[in-house]
Amino acid sequence: NLSSGSDQKMIMLPCKCAPSPEQVQLWLQAKKQYECLQRDKKQT
Amino acid sequence: MATLTRQDLNFGQVVADILCEFLEVAIHLILYVREVYPSGIFQKRKKYNVPVQMSCHPELNQYIQDTLHCVKPLIEKNEAEKVVVVIMDKEHHPVERFVFEISQPPLLSISSETLLSHVEQLLRAVILKISVCDAVLDNNPPGCTFTVLVHTREAAARNMEKVQVIKDFPWIVADEQEVHMEEAKLIPLKTMTSDILKMQLYVEEKTQKT
Repeated sequence: NLSSGSDQKMIMLPCKCAPSPEQVQLWLQAKKQYECLQRDKKQT
Repeated sequence: MATLTRQDLNFGQVVADILCEFLEVAIHLILYVREVYPSGIFQKRKKYNVPVQMSCHPELNQYIQDTLHCVKPLIEKNEAEKVVVVIMDKEHHPVERFVFEISQPPLLSISSETLLSHVEQLLRAVILKISVCDAVLDNNPPGCTFTVLVHTREAAARNMEKVQVIKDFPWIVADEQEVHMEEAKLIPLKTMTSDILKMQLYVEEKTQKT
């Protein structure tokens, strides 16, 4: 932290992490599979 | 043309609304351009009258919204000096930092008609700069993640820790690993000056990313 006067400068960040790229990739694959199934369902 | 103080018209809230909406678009676009997430999760939308890429991943979108929801009260009170989107490698070391340096004038000379259209025009220019910034940046290593840092003051930070704007979304003081980046080069992207807001966007990029 950078000190400046009485009210110091501070850098904050969320405790929680953003979703990982791997998690997002898995979600995307599942979404594509679901969309494929829906398309097949419509065609039959 | 009237001269208004920050207290008039709840001006801080107006600025925070405009800025947080912009930061949301900017964060989505940075994540797309810098290939933090697969391109398949992004969809083309129109914001500020230009095409942008926005994620359709519910959890990621919620994360970005929650983050900005917590930052908003700081912007409202003019207590956020910088909002930084940090892209980190697999070892959680920063490789790129998109720094939004914000300053709000204490006195404002504005007319409502010119205000919004002018700000929108300026924000559009910043968005356009982000969308082409990959031309001046080196590729990131695979498996990068991101976080958002807010540069504020101790009193505001203490308040942020105490009053959780969103339940189960606490904020902590960043440690050295999240902040420090060795041999970084600075790439200025855009500066905007409007009646209500001044913003400077630059990227700090690690020289050796691998």
